Amino acid sequence: MAVFSLFDAEEKALEQARALRRSLADAPEAVRDGLDTLIGAYDSSVREQRRLVKVSDRLQGQLASLNQELGKRKAEAEEALANLRAAQDSLIQSEKLASLGALVGGVAHEINTPVGVALSCASHLADATDAMRKLFEADDIGIDDFERYMATARDTSALIVGNCERAAALIRSFKQVAVDRTSSERRSFELGSYIRETLASLGPHIRQAGHRVTVDCPDGIVMDSYPGALSQVLSNFVMNSLVHGFDPGTGGAIVITVDRPTSGQVRMIYSDNGKGIAPGNRSRIFDPFFTTRRGAGGSGLGLHIVYNLVTGPLEGGVAVDSPPGGGASFTVTLPQAVSQ
Amino acid sequence: MAMENFKIAATERSPEVNFDFDGCRLSLRGESYPEDASTVFGPLFSALERFLATIGEREFVVEFDLTYFNSSSAKALMNMLKLLDHAARDGARISVSWLFAPDDDTMKEFGEDFSEDLEHVAFNLVAVEPAA
Ligand SMILES: Nc1ncnc2c1ncn2[C@@H]1O[C@H](COP(=O)(O)OP(=O)(O)OP(=O)(O)O)[C@@H](O)[C@H]1O
Ligand SMILES: [Mg+2]
Repeated sequence: MAVFSLFDAEEKALEQARALRRSLADAPEAVRDGLDTLIGAYDSSVREQRRLVKVSDRLQGQLASLNQELGKRKAEAEEALANLRAAQDSLIQSEKLASLGALVGGVAHEINTPVGVALSCASHLADATDAMRKLFEADDIGIDDFERYMATARDTSALIVGNCERAAALIRSFKQVAVDRTSSERRSFELGSYIRETLASLGPHIRQAGHRVTVDCPDGIVMDSYPGALSQVLSNFVMNSLVHGFDPGTGGAIVITVDRPTSGQVRMIYSDNGKGIAPGNRSRIFDPFFTTRRGAGGSGLGLHIVYNLVTGPLEGGVAVDSPPGGGASFTVTLPQAVSQ
Repeated sequence: MAMENFKIAATERSPEVNFDFDGCRLSLRGESYPEDASTVFGPLFSALERFLATIGEREFVVEFDLTYFNSSSAKALMNMLKLLDHAARDGARISVSWLFAPDDDTMKEFGEDFSEDLEHVAFNLVAVEPAA
């Protein structure tokens, strides 16, 4: 079999030209020289062609292996991204578990105090009652004994009632933290009127203290969502403004503004002109049990509930802002219709 | 009449050209894959032709220090080598150095291939560690 040559035709042509030149040994010098020049030029041109083919083969080879490398890198990067996403998901899961753990631990801790106080009051009352019964059986109750017992019974039962109420309130708010979609009904409602209704139900708290509330919401935004969750969110904001934002005796202002940044999305900005939230606390206010009023009635669950409701059943997001003019401000973004 | 020295700064796609007429040296350094080879090699060829006409007895040192070139540049380089070889055949003293990085087999092979037909210039293949 003949050896394959890319430049077979050129070599043959060159061979023929050389044979022709040999047969022209007797031709005039000008013809011979001219032919020599042509043959030389053709020879050199073919050699250049060989080199150029080699150069371009080499370049294309480099390009191909670069492309291959690129494809490999791309696949690697995509895999790394997928791994990262998976890691992120499992991180979110364990974060959720950790926050559930913190929540349960916190609830136990919070409830322990009122229950402990109620328990020791109850046993104190039981002891006093026992002593009273002995005196009664011996028919030896003096008026002093009776008055002292009455004072003890009044004080301890007041403490028992107060602390049991505190424990019950904590359990109620804990149940709200754990609220799920099924606990509240999904339906259509007009957003502006619903906000105003919720505020009206909070009216007594607000009006008594002389605060002003302004709602700026376009008419006709019909939501398909969980109104109960939304009103819980609003009341927690309002209660916080009253408790943390406004000094007693000074009238504050609350403004609720609603707009639609994109179709299908609503944005509700809640702000008050109160004392505002210290920058160092902003990242923690949504954590369960974070409160600046521990021991003075705060359990630190209000905004955690807000966060769970907004990101859970309401399928939106909530963020705290720091308005330049002071006060506190929260931005809640919600889909107009939830998916579940 | 003294000729002006001829210098072109490197661009992303074309080599640095340094033509020192008084020092009798020419160097091309870098990468060469211009969109239009004639913009780089056109002016260089006419400068080279003018220079070769005035060279006389002096030794002309040419250095190719290229790391990458495309096919048009390869053809231009071969033309240049041919021009130099003809000048040497006609009596000029010319030495050509072809530089390549020790691990760059491609540039080494191109140097070998391109020097195949040179008969009159002194041709050196030189392995040099690239400047850091
Ligand atoms: N409108 C506001 N102005 C100033 N500070 C606020 C405001 N809203 C929340 N905060 C701060 O954020 C903290 C957390 O609020 P959150 O509602 O979670 O708990 P809390 O109000 O302290 O307790 P709880 O709501 O359980 O009774 C508050 O203790 C307070 O420091
Ligand atoms: Mg609160």
